[in-house]
Amino acid sequence: MIQLEYFLLLAAALFCIGIYGLVTSRNVIRVLMSIELMLNAVNLNLMAFSNYLDPASATGQVFTVFVITIAAAEASVGLAIVLSIYRNRDTVDMEQFNLLKW
Amino acid sequence: MLTPLLLIPAVGAIALACWSGCSAQRARSLALATAGTTLLWTVWLFTQFDLTDPGFQMREFLPWIPQLGLNYDLGLDGLSLLMVALNSLLTWIALWSSPTTLDRPRLFYSLMLLVSAGVAGAFLAQNLLLFFLLYEVELVPLYLLVAIWGGEKKTYAATKFLLYTALSGALMLAGFLATVLLTDGLDFRYMTAMGQTLPLVAQTILLGCLVVAFGIKIPLVPFHTWLPDTYVAASTPVAMILGGVLAKLGTYGLFRFGLGMFPDAWALLAPYLAVWAAGGVLYGAVTAIAQKDIKRMVAYSSIGHMGYVLLGGAALTDLALTGAVTQMVSHGLILAILFHLVGLVEAKVGTRELDVLNGLMNPIRGLPMTSALLVLGGMASAGIPGLMGFVTEFLVFQGSYATYPIPTLLAVTGTGLTAVYFIILLNRTCFGRLDNAIAYFPKVSFTEQFPALILATLILFLGIQPNWLVKWGEPTASSMVALLLPRSVEVIAGDRAPTSPVALETPADLSHKALPIAVAGLKSLP
Amino acid sequence: MDFSALAAQLNAGAILPEGIVIITLITVLVGDLIGGRASSRWTPYLAIAGLFAAIVALVYQWDTANPIAFLGGFNSDALSVVFRGIIVLSAMITVPMSIRYVEQSGTSLAEFIVILMTATLGGMVLSGADELVTIFVALETLSISSYLLTGYMKRDPRSNEAALKYLLIGAASSAIFLYGVSLLYGLSGGQTRLSAIAAQLAADSSDAPIGLVVALVFVIAGIAFKIAAVPFHQWTPDVYEGSPTPVVAFLSVGSKAAGFALAIRLLVSVFPLVSEQWHFVFTALAILSMVLGNVVALAQTSMKRLLAYSSIAQAGFVMIGLIVGTEAGYASMVFYLLVYLFMNLGGFTCVILFSLRTGTDQISEYSGLYQKDPLLTLGLSICLLSLGGIPPLAGFFGKLYIFWAGWQAGAYGLVLVGLITSVISIYYYIRVIKMMVVKEPQEMSDSVKNYPPMRWNLPGMRPLQVSLVVALVATSLAGILSNPLFTLANDSITHTPLLKAAIAEQAAAMVSHTETVETIAIAPQ
Repeated sequence: MIQLEYFLLLAAALFCIGIYGLVTSRNVIRVLMSIELMLNAVNLNLMAFSNYLDPASATGQVFTVFVITIAAAEASVGLAIVLSIYRNRDTVDMEQFNLLKW
Repeated sequence: MLTPLLLIPAVGAIALACWSGCSAQRARSLALATAGTTLLWTVWLFTQFDLTDPGFQMREFLPWIPQLGLNYDLGLDGLSLLMVALNSLLTWIALWSSPTTLDRPRLFYSLMLLVSAGVAGAFLAQNLLLFFLLYEVELVPLYLLVAIWGGEKKTYAATKFLLYTALSGALMLAGFLATVLLTDGLDFRYMTAMGQTLPLVAQTILLGCLVVAFGIKIPLVPFHTWLPDTYVAASTPVAMILGGVLAKLGTYGLFRFGLGMFPDAWALLAPYLAVWAAGGVLYGAVTAIAQKDIKRMVAYSSIGHMGYVLLGGAALTDLALTGAVTQMVSHGLILAILFHLVGLVEAKVGTRELDVLNGLMNPIRGLPMTSALLVLGGMASAGIPGLMGFVTEFLVFQGSYATYPIPTLLAVTGTGLTAVYFIILLNRTCFGRLDNAIAYFPKVSFTEQFPALILATLILFLGIQPNWLVKWGEPTASSMVALLLPRSVEVIAGDRAPTSPVALETPADLSHKALPIAVAGLKSLP
Repeated sequence: MDFSALAAQLNAGAILPEGIVIITLITVLVGDLIGGRASSRWTPYLAIAGLFAAIVALVYQWDTANPIAFLGGFNSDALSVVFRGIIVLSAMITVPMSIRYVEQSGTSLAEFIVILMTATLGGMVLSGADELVTIFVALETLSISSYLLTGYMKRDPRSNEAALKYLLIGAASSAIFLYGVSLLYGLSGGQTRLSAIAAQLAADSSDAPIGLVVALVFVIAGIAFKIAAVPFHQWTPDVYEGSPTPVVAFLSVGSKAAGFALAIRLLVSVFPLVSEQWHFVFTALAILSMVLGNVVALAQTSMKRLLAYSSIAQAGFVMIGLIVGTEAGYASMVFYLLVYLFMNLGGFTCVILFSLRTGTDQISEYSGLYQKDPLLTLGLSICLLSLGGIPPLAGFFGKLYIFWAGWQAGAYGLVLVGLITSVISIYYYIRVIKMMVVKEPQEMSDSVKNYPPMRWNLPGMRPLQVSLVVALVATSLAGILSNPLFTLANDSITHTPLLKAAIAEQAAAMVSHTETVETIAIAPQ
């Protein structure tokens, strides 16, 4: 059986990739995807912990369901905002959003 | 009995601020009536004051926020009484001397009354936090008074004043918090704080904090840079209040809280304070000589005169302390008359430049009465015998000479220099030949001169009969010294510091004998 | 399982206030669907009534015998009641502020109110949440509604941009927070209730484990974002500048209060093992917030940005109370948040009024306002002076209490930084007042010259006036008559078992610490 550590390392790597994408992306959609990646790292963490440490009550798996649901809500709100900004500005490039001092 | 001193002006201020349909004339009358009532109340307090009791009288106590130890706690002793009287009198006079053609009169009078209420409360507060609160209350009204009705560079001056005072408030709060919480007290009552028994090092640090805090307000020399700007930019009535009353808040705080709470540390620092005071006197005098603007000159003279107060406090004899207390009053009156007259000259002649002014004494086309009063004010400020300034300075020097001969001598030299710059001022302004081309000044009406006349009468009268002033301050001053000396001597003796910084025994003994003699001598002077 | 036993364990009465908010919210939503445009006549008042009922319900919750609800998921102790009260109150003042603003922008009012109330709901649940999943869901309810509110002005590109920035940074920070939470779940061996996690962690190891420190760092990042502490503050000025002003008012008070409630509960109950570390981090955050917030505010030209930096600085002051961790410290936090609620909302009401008449937020445009609108000038002056801590206004007492508590607990450095930076803060607050009051009539700005006469009878103006008056009266009198508020703040701390235990523990630790020091000092002799 695979050890818990491998899952945690994978999750950590995923999380770091997410942060990297968050910092470097110029396209808003890519930024949103990076955030999803980070949330998925969290899900992986929760699932792994739940499976190895707390298999009886499986709280972590329930937690994961909540995270997925809320991530979906967040993404939909994000996309709605991106849509309205695209209508107003004709771009989704982060560098172009400079009406407010960043 | 003390609350009306805060309440009457505060209510007057709020009424003025809310009464939107009020004409300028009405606003002025209402403000004068309010200040007059306060003044009458103060006079009544004099009749109720028990001279034999050196402690705090007419205590008023109302629990406010017990969790913080902040309570409404007022009390009156000789020092407070004189300061409150000075405040009430100068507020009334400043209101009287404010021009009738003022922009936004309601706001002006309302702010002036607010300042008066706050200052009166600060002089009476028996709770450290209450003092701090009332000390901060006058901050914004004064800022607005300078910034709206001031002269050139008014916003710059007002902002400078605001920041300096706010900084002084912050330091003071730090000092107060430290004092009370280091002693594990949860009560900010002045009496509790007075009984603290902190180690000498902690006391010295806390006292240093308070000296800087109040030193900004007084102002003492390195912290004085706001003073010339603010005094000069402020309009006449505001300058009178600033120099006459607000500066006293600094010395009052220094004596009440610095000396009152940390007597041991005060005794330790006193020699340095004396030297500092002498330095301030000389600096103020020398800088004043170099000025070309008469208002600025008067402003710098204030730095020198506050130096005498500090010197008196540092000397720690009851004669010197009495002198310091009375000097606070006399400086308030003299500065007020000088600012008033300078303002009058500026209003009539249109300039404050020494190089332009000339021959105002001219009986026909000049301003003879104003000039005469200016001469009187200058003489009083320079310490000419027979006037109030002389008496108080004499008391200070007499008391401090025994303890600190060299700083005293330096300060006496400073008085000489004061005479020099006032001679320059009077000579250029009042005497000489009046230039015919510009000499058609508007007449000075009696109303405009009235405040100066009152002040001049007081200066003259209290110069001839100084006991009427001294007797109020003397019991408190000697009780302060008497309370402190045994403790200080004991502490210093108990520590057995190899080189005891000050020998305190002799001046105390000396002064007890010296005071009646000095006062008797003064009485026979004129 | 026995049904009555389950009902007792659920203890659903604890969320009665939240229930009232939900019912009101649904009624507003349905009413708007049925009534259409016309419903905007009564929906805001219904919302206010509902929020008021929630406050009444909260009052009855004070000191309940059994605060734990939903099998430990929700805690209705005095601390949570007080914070829920602050959040509901801020929403209750925000609703009347927003009526005119939203109507003038031509968007639907009822939707705005529904989203605002959802955010309120999220904040309320967050203040009482005692379990990781509940915390996460509540936090996201608050956050997502806030993103929507920020972007509510759909056609305004600035509002869009603010919403996008807020969403991206907010989502990232909640992902980071969540990562920390997942680590906590793992470290405690599968617990999600805060008390169980703390017990498990304490049982596992005696000294601070590295995993816990990592979790702490992630969690603090999430919390610091919510309370806008430097260096997690970059979103604040942009979001404040771009979003509709009533939303900013709510974010700066309600959302921040929720963040502080979360901070107290999470840090105090889960992280006592690494208490030195989190105290250190928060000290750094507090100093940075006070210094940077106050200094950067000096250079602002937009009123909303100025208030944004000022709110960062104010959060720094509040953090002092959290750091010292004594009874007075927590009580001073609660007290400060209470007075901050009124003065900040009052300030924003004035900004809304001004921008409604002139359409601008630039500070220079306020020049000479006293000539045209003395009431607004007075109101804004009082609120700003109170924020600057000038007596006898409420803010002075709040600051005094915080500094007093800090000094009492020995946090001298923090208090000194606070004192010095509040002197700086007076400068920028007074700058605005100078603009309005000191400027001569000829220096009046163009927008003030064209200032329309005040018309209070326009729809939506009366409520605005009411909320302005309420905030002003509270700001001017809450200081002088602050004794009941002080008592409330103190009681909310002493009646909270969690904090009582933490305070006692800290006091014990301090005593033992001094004793150790003394023994060490005595030993060599």
